[in-house]
Order: sequence, then structure tokens, then C-alpha cells
Amino acid sequence: MKNNDMNMHVRGASIFVDDIVTPEGCLHAALYTSRVARGIIHSLDISKAAAAPGVVAVYTHRDIPGLNQVGHVSKDQPLLAVDKVEYIGQPIALIVAQTRRQALLAAKLVTADIEQLEAVFDPRVAFERGMIHGQKSILVKGDTSAAFAKCKYIVQGTQSTGPQEHFYFETQRALAIPEEHGTIKVCASSQSPGAFHRHIAEVLGIPQSKVEFDIRRLGGAFGGKESTAVWVVAPALAAFILKKPVKLVLTRNEDIFTTGKRHAYEYDYKIGLDAEGNILAYEVILYQHAGACADISIAVLTRSLLHASGSYRVPNISVTAVSCRTNIPPNNAFRGFGVPQGTFGIEYAITKAAEIMGVDVTLLKHKNLLRDGDTLPYGMKLEKVNAIKCWETLDKQVNIAQRYAEVEKYNMTHTDTKRGIAVIPVCFGISFAQTALNQASSLVNIYVDGSVAVSTGAVEMGQGVNTKIQIIAANTLGISTEKVRLGTTNTLRIPNASPTSASTGADLNGMATKFACEELYTRLKKFAAKHLNHNNPDEITLRDNAVYINNKKTELDWEKLVAAAQWARIDLSCHAFYATPNLHLDPKTFIGRPFAYYSYGTSLTSVILDVRRGTYVFDGIDVVHDVGQTLSEAIDRGQVEGAVIQGMGWSTIEQIRYSSDGRVLTGVNAYKIPDIKFCPSHFKVTLLPNSDNPYAVCNSKAVGEPPFIHGLGAYFAILHALRAVRKDKELPSLPLTPEKVFMYIHS
Amino acid sequence: MLSFIINNKEICTDLPSGMVLLDFIREEQHLTGTKEACREGECGACTVLVGTMCPDGISYKACASCILPIGDVKGCHIVTVEGLSGDTLNTVQRLIVENNASQCGFCTPGIVLSLTGFCLTSETFAYEDAIDALDGNICRCTGYVSIRSAARCLCEELRHICDNKNGRIPALIEAGVLPRYFLDIPARLKALASCSVSADTSSKCSNSNTVPVAGGTDLFVQKPEELRAAHIAFLSRRSDLNYIRAGDASLFIGSAVTIEEFRNSPEVLRYFPSMKSDLLRHSSHILRNKATLAGNIINASPVGDMSIILLALGARLVIEGKDGKTRNTPLEEFFLGYKKMAYSCGELVREIVIPLPSNTLFNFEKVSNRETLDIAAVNTAMHINISADDKIVDLRISAGGVAPIPLLVRGLEKFYGLKTVPDTCLAIADTVMNSVTPIDDIRGSAEYKKLLLKQLILAHFDTFGIRQVTK
Repeated sequence: MKNNDMNMHVRGASIFVDDIVTPEGCLHAALYTSRVARGIIHSLDISKAAAAPGVVAVYTHRDIPGLNQVGHVSKDQPLLAVDKVEYIGQPIALIVAQTRRQALLAAKLVTADIEQLEAVFDPRVAFERGMIHGQKSILVKGDTSAAFAKCKYIVQGTQSTGPQEHFYFETQRALAIPEEHGTIKVCASSQSPGAFHRHIAEVLGIPQSKVEFDIRRLGGAFGGKESTAVWVVAPALAAFILKKPVKLVLTRNEDIFTTGKRHAYEYDYKIGLDAEGNILAYEVILYQHAGACADISIAVLTRSLLHASGSYRVPNISVTAVSCRTNIPPNNAFRGFGVPQGTFGIEYAITKAAEIMGVDVTLLKHKNLLRDGDTLPYGMKLEKVNAIKCWETLDKQVNIAQRYAEVEKYNMTHTDTKRGIAVIPVCFGISFAQTALNQASSLVNIYVDGSVAVSTGAVEMGQGVNTKIQIIAANTLGISTEKVRLGTTNTLRIPNASPTSASTGADLNGMATKFACEELYTRLKKFAAKHLNHNNPDEITLRDNAVYINNKKTELDWEKLVAAAQWARIDLSCHAFYATPNLHLDPKTFIGRPFAYYSYGTSLTSVILDVRRGTYVFDGIDVVHDVGQTLSEAIDRGQVEGAVIQGMGWSTIEQIRYSSDGRVLTGVNAYKIPDIKFCPSHFKVTLLPNSDNPYAVCNSKAVGEPPFIHGLGAYFAILHALRAVRKDKELPSLPLTPEKVFMYIHS
Repeated sequence: MLSFIINNKEICTDLPSGMVLLDFIREEQHLTGTKEACREGECGACTVLVGTMCPDGISYKACASCILPIGDVKGCHIVTVEGLSGDTLNTVQRLIVENNASQCGFCTPGIVLSLTGFCLTSETFAYEDAIDALDGNICRCTGYVSIRSAARCLCEELRHICDNKNGRIPALIEAGVLPRYFLDIPARLKALASCSVSADTSSKCSNSNTVPVAGGTDLFVQKPEELRAAHIAFLSRRSDLNYIRAGDASLFIGSAVTIEEFRNSPEVLRYFPSMKSDLLRHSSHILRNKATLAGNIINASPVGDMSIILLALGARLVIEGKDGKTRNTPLEEFFLGYKKMAYSCGELVREIVIPLPSNTLFNFEKVSNRETLDIAAVNTAMHINISADDKIVDLRISAGGVAPIPLLVRGLEKFYGLKTVPDTCLAIADTVMNSVTPIDDIRGSAEYKKLLLKQLILAHFDTFGIRQVTK
């Protein structure tokens, strides 16, 4: 089954926040934000803005009735700055006007006298000065010092990966509408119904029960709408005070300049292998470039730490991870949530090790792949490992060794162009590493006419979670999918929902829905037995919109059954709850069982390098990816393809440039994400056959984030080609822009 | 008053002509299928079709509505996603669904419009042309694989209508791409024009406060607020400026000619066949449909692709003064300093004159972070005349992104008479490199641009088949 929303998307009929018909008199808000990366606010002049055409009000921190705080984990992020600013783009004042244009123009008239203080933009410098969020995290398994002593090959060095702008097409936005009894309804583009609901109530100083938070769908999110609630809370504040509807829609450049990004990382790594190429030890220090507030950075960092060994068995490992507090906008979640960065470290280290050893890196990777019975650094013993299975499925398709040899041969005989390939294995833990978040609930209502409405805490953002839940509900109840409707995600129906993130949207909310549908199924089965005067309910099944006894269809169809059950006073509504079992993680030692299961994959990326111009074209990618038993092949393929390209963008052309004073320089005219011509001409995705997964709903596996890791292949394929040009230089960092490629070759 | 048709509805409005069409569509007409995602023409989410009456009927182009003022669509037929289908999906929409080419859906209406525009204009339904038509439509979700599949299916389904003799619009109605009401649009536009009471003065520069706007694709990014309130003369509607003529050893290009018209012009391609592919590197389809050669010059960007091409080709400008008299200025004398030109307020570039090549070779090189729809780090063009005995007779090299102006490199006469052997080529490349002083900016470091320019000069010679050593 396809994503249900597509039929509306192609007509432009899908309703996003800015498409909601606004109530009469709806006002528009804009933010005045800091132009200084760090400083003390001595005074603020809002008089000119307040007097500007159409302006209704200008608010500062003094106007906040509740708590001036939107910090997601730590209470370190005021909604509106009080006496200091810590990054460029930090909100200081909120302007409300009759139109969006007027609000944006008036925001330019606010002036602030800010005494500039020294700001830090380098995570290593921040670390040296003790500017970190939380504590330094350390994960140790085995004894790396002793192991290094036994190694034949040891490689160490430093490297870095860059930030990435989410570039969801729908920028941050919300519409807030005051309602009766001092309540307020907020329609927003948000991945976090539960948390944002709480943030709104806290800032307004009212109980959560008085806030209705409603999410229909998002025009993309990729993690960027998970933790930072500023742009949802701000219009709610204005609407609450003014008792008028207020909408806030960020412009593209406001979004690029002031919102968080994927975290850049710095690495100090050291890897050791024996003569046969077995990895014996790996040490890495991860310096995370977190930004001014903690936001969700420590959770991201924890995931990097837990994935530091990638897809490989590493008997002795030491991972040190620090979240460095710098004066840029607080970085946040982005598809992969630290796993791409954690995985990068070991992929890079292995690549360097292969060079020193003079062997084909793909052999080295294959040799060290995880297998059944291996124990990960945090003590989790693995079963049903599909790392080798994915690798070998790919190998059968492309013949990795032959491809490698062909590239080597090509590069011996060509000087104008060079080829490169990279094989990237994926091992991605599924569950929120924060155990408490692994919960979801679902409310399933069967109406007397037989139609069904399902509400969950899952947020639809293009990933097809609503369609997957619809399939699960219909299959469990034994009815056709057309009878099942998914509505908006709404806190009046589903409270305290975890964010739709960590790829778990369908896993958690799908399972809760399955539970609710199973309960309803049982009630209806019992009732059907009674109704049909059949004494054994276990011989009754509901399927194909009908009641069966011992696999024989009866006269009783779904509609009649439901109508009769309602008349017989059977409860046709059911709420169910799911909490992923057996998860735990010690927050100090990082030992535990943080994940329910793992998603695996292997890919081969191929690039052609133009040596003269320093440009490159990806001519092919072959991906084998494990999605368990797919709930929707159409949706899962789309998720794989989209994640791969997004990962390739991060690896190559997506570069954020900052001015020396910490301003993002690369607006929409310079920050370039992949376009249709960037996409490799050959792009083949194989969903791993015969994979099952007892740990998630209907044997499926999560798919949103894991395939992003394949995108690393773009970086490593270019490195491969670059090394064919010259070997006498340090390798450039990620992203590998045409500029870095050119300078490696020609400078 | 401005009048035009949106989808199946006549519109008459007295809103400012500098208001952008996207705002009019969403805020005034409440047609929310057209999305705002960048307001700079960089993403394609707001793509609409603009149908303009021309002597042989109506011609539709896909354009970015976020930088298209409503004054510029006076008398036109605007098609948004809502105007494409009735109860059933049109062919493009159906194929997008069948190929799963939509995820979050925010970019999807723009993709539907660009592909529908392709159906209206493609001569052969070649798949590569369909992809070119989508080069301005960015999608953050799908990774494009499914969008390509939809485009491929579309070409296969529609290829047969190339032979349809009844005209493209009836053929597309039959093929389920367009709704029936498209047939009546030309007549309705004519009726609209005739009942319009005000004289057509909007394209004339009536006073010095008037801002002449050609494509507007950069102006409406840079100064949307000023232009909203301004009195604008829309040059795109002046038929006297919209021509491409060959003759008198030159090509004469009117200043209303768009990059896309130039790129596809048989006259241009007869003399400069590489323009077809060279200009694919210029912005994107939905921008090239509005952006003009003259606008790209007047914009005076030091890295403007069209300026760089025309400098190497030795083009000159015909500029009309306030008094109606014209003067000729070689393009290389036009750029004086950063965004400073030999041009005063009230003047108008009427024409661009390009000398026709005779035994010359031409090549354009551009390197940008992303290959398409991106501004160059460095661009350069070379125009060279090599005699039968392999000696340089004439050599013009332009370079962008390396100076405050689009630069024509001086002092190359010393290479005249030399053979194009590797040493000479290298010497030329070094001379060019040493004549420029780029700066560090968001397109790259000064050092990068300098070294890149040298390699791109050598790449010109590569392209001409004059072999070089790699380094």
C-alpha cells in the first residue's frame, strides 16, 4: 500500500499549518533576534517597532506570564532573552502585527544595546575552557592499552565532520487560537506533541489541560522540529495575551540563520589491528559542537557514543564524548541522531588503517563485521545479526572485489578522471536510548457504521507513519484499509506522547494501535459468538470485513456486527499503551540494553572524479537494506532513497559557512542540498529478503534514519578516488565539497 | 487595474503591480496548493504556469511565482496545481502517485507544474529534457529516484502525441494532462484585453521613478519591499525588445529575450551550438524562463554566467538614453567596478549584439558547489581563433568570481602568433591566473578561485582537443 496522503499532495490539497483557513482578525508574529554571538543586553528599544504600521504589540521577556523557558532537557534556554545573549539568532523580542510583512518589517526596527563579549566557535577551545554541557561521557570495554601493545598496526589522528541544515521544506511555524474558558489551541509543525504541549503550558503559566496541541502533518522535519519549541511557543504567547489568533511562519533564511543543525564533530582517534587485520582496539574522543544551549545535544552524543564501533566487532574500546558549549544556535536532532557522526569515526579509522596495511579496505571491513554472539561495547549481546547477510547479498549483486579491482585498474590507466568506490555497512540501534521515551498510546474508535478512527501520538511528516498505522489497524481488525482513518495528532486524544523520532514512530504507535485493535477484536469476537449462538469464540475470526466460524464465512459482515455490538452495549472504543520491553541503560557507565533491535544494511557507492576541475559525479549506488518484513514496500523504499541522498548531501556539497563573528553566511542562495541531477544515474535499492524481527510490530523494522548512514559512502568513495591522484597529503574533512577536493589535488 | 486569469477564473485587481504572484495566489485567492518555501526562486515549491498570448496562440512557461510580480502577468493565464485536475488526477499527478514520488508533499505541487509545463513545451518528450525541466525543483524527502521514474513514465506515455496534428493543447486534453477549459483560454484572454479600459503604458518608462524590470528574478530576491511599492515598467511585455535576429555578421538579441529562449533559439544554436548545454548551468529552468540576458548583465554580478559568456564573445550593448538616442558600448567597457556600470538612471539596454564567429572556437567552464542551480565559484569563457598553421590569431578570455566585475582578461595579445603547444597554453593559464585578485567569500577561498581559474583555462584547451599535462 502507498502513502495515503499522496493523492492530496499532488493536488495541493493537503493542509499544512499555513494553509489552515485563519480565523477573522488573525495576527502575525515575527521575532527580533540577537545580532551578537555573546553579550550583555544593556537596553532594548522597541518603541520604533511598536509604532510601525500595523503593529499591535511588541513583547519581551517581561511579558511572559509563566516560565520564560523552552529548554528541552536542561532549563537553560529562555524563550526571550533576559539580560544576555549567547548566540546570533537568539530571540529577544516578539512583534505582532496585522500582516506578516508588517511584523517582519517592524522586527527590523527594534534596536538593542548589547555589550559584546568574547565568543567561542571552536568546540576544542570550548572543551579546553571547560565549556561543556553535562558531564564528559566515557564508555570503556576491555583494556585498550594492553590491546594496543599487541597490535601490529596502529593508526591515529584527527578528523572532523560538518554541520547540516535540515532544510525541511516547511519552515518552523504555528498558529495559535485562543478559545473559551481561557484555553488555547495551537496548530503547529512539530514532531513533539507531548513536550511542546508542556512547553506551551509552562510559558503561558496555565495547566496543560487548557492547551490543545494539534498536528496534522509536517512538510518535512528530519529531527529539526523535535526539541526546539521557540517558534511554536512564541505565537501561543502572543495569542494568549492578546486573546486573538496569531500565526508565526519563519522565512527560509530566518530558519537557516537561527535554528539548530546537525552537530559538527571533531575526532581524535586511534585504532589498532593485528597482522591478520582484526581490530583489537579503538579509542576515540568525540568533541560535539553543540551550541549555546544543551537542547537535545547530550542525547545525540550518547547515541554517537553507543555507535562508536559502527558495524564492527571491537573487543577493546574506549569512547570519550563531550558536548562542547559554543556560541552558535543550539544544535538539535537530525536524521541519524549522532549515529552518522559516531559511525564516521570508525569508518575513517579503518580506511586509514587499510592504507597503512596496504590492503583493500573492503576486505578489512568484511573481516571485522559483527556476527551473532558478538557483544557490543555497552554489553549488549547480539542475535539475529544481519550485517554479513546484507554484505553478502550486495556482494552477489555487484561483486565487490571485482569492482574494487576494476577501479584500481581504471585509475592506473586514466589521469583526467579517477574512480572511487566505497562499501559502507550499517548497524543502527532502534529505540530511544533514553528508555523513558519508548512509550506510546493509541485510541481506536469504531463507529456504529463500521468506520474506524485511529489516534496516536505519531506525527506524519512524509515518512508514511499514518499509512503504516492504518495498515496495522485494518489488518488486525480484519477489515479493509479504506474503513480506517487517521486524524490529526492531538493532545486532547493522546496525552504525553513521545516525539516521532528515533525512527520509532511506526514501531511504538503501531504496536499500541495493534494492542488496541486486538482488544476490540476480542470484544467483537466474543460478541459475535454470542450473537451467532456459537459457543466457542476461539473458532471465530474477523477478516475481509466479515465474520467467519471455523474459516467459514457467515452472513454477519463487519458493519452488521459493529451495529449489533453497539446496540448490545459493547464498548467500541479502546485505548492501548505500549512500552518497549527490556530496555535499560546505566547513565553513568553506559552499560545496558538500550535498543530493542538493530537495522542493518550495506551499500556500494561509486564516483567519477574530474581531476582538472576538482568536481565529481556519483554514477552509481547499490543499497541492500534490512527493513524486516516491510509494512509498505513503497514507503520503505522511499525512506531508503531519501535518506541515502540526504546522507550523500551531508557528505559532500552541504556546507555551512560562518563569519568570524559566528553568523551563518550560507543562506538559501548558497546552502545547496542535492537536486535531481545530483542523484546517481544508477540507484538500486534491495530490501533484504527473508528478514524477520520479533522485536517490532508485525516483524517490521524501523527505516527512517538507518539508511542515512549509506550516504557516508559518498565521502569515502571520493577519498578513494583522491588517493589515486596523490597520497602525500592529509585527507580532507567531511563535507567533501568541490573546493576541498580541488585544493587536495591542486594546492 | 490588472486583469488576468487564474486557472478557470477571471481576475481583476488594483493591488500593486509589484506584489509577487505567490502572495496573490495564497493570500488573496486562498489557493494554498502553491507553497512558499524560499521566496528566492531557489526551490521550485511555488512553481506555476504562465500562459502568454503570442502570434501563434498561447505559450506556457513554468515560473517561480515567489519572484514574479503580478504586473508582469497582466493578460496572462496563470495555472496553479488547483487548475489541473477535476474529479480525477491528471496524468502527471497520477504518475507521481503511481511512482511514490511524493513524501511530505510540500514540493509536490511545484513538481506537478514543472512536469505539466514540460508536457506543454517538449517537442519530443525526451526523458533528459524532462529532467532538465525539473532542475529547479528541489525535494528534500524522496531522493529523486521516484521522481525520475515518474518523469520516465510520463515521457513514455506521451511520446505518441508528438505526432498529433491538432495542436499540443487539444492533444494534452485528450491525454488527460490538461482540463477542457484550457481550450477557451485564448478567447477569454482576448476578451479580457479588449475590455481593459486603461491604456497599456505599464511597459513604458514614464518617469524617472519608474523601475524597469526585465525578468525580475534577481531584483525580486534583492529588493522585494522596494519593488512592491514602486512604479515598474515590465520589459518582458515589450514585443519590440523580444527578438533574435542574425545578420550583418552579428546576432542581434532584444533585451527582453530570456535565457531559455536564447538557449533554444535555432539562430543562436546555428552559430553557438554549445549554448544549449552551457546554459543548462545557468540557474534553473523555472528561472531561465524569466531571466533575461540583459538582466544578467545589468545585475552586474561579478560571476554572472551570461556576462562571462558574452564578454568572451565580444558582445556590445545598444543603450537607449532618456532622449531616445542610442549608443553602443562594448560589454568589456560596461563594467566599471563592483556593481558599477557605464549606465545611468533612465537609460535602457535595448539590444545585445554578438559578432558571429568565423573559424573560432568557444568554450564555457563553470565550477560551482552544486553542479546545477548554483552560483559559480569561478566561471570563464574562451573564444579563440587558431590559424590553419596552428597559430593563435585572436584570443578572448573572460573570468568570473575573481574580480569585482565580470572580467575580460587583458594583455593576451602577446600570445598572438604563437602555436597552441602545451607550454603556450600553460603560459596563458598562468597569465590569466596572475591577472586576477579574488577574495574569500561563501563561494570559496581566494586561493581556490585563483588556482581553479588556471585549471579552467587549461580545461578550455582540453575541450578544444589541445592536450595538456594534468598539472
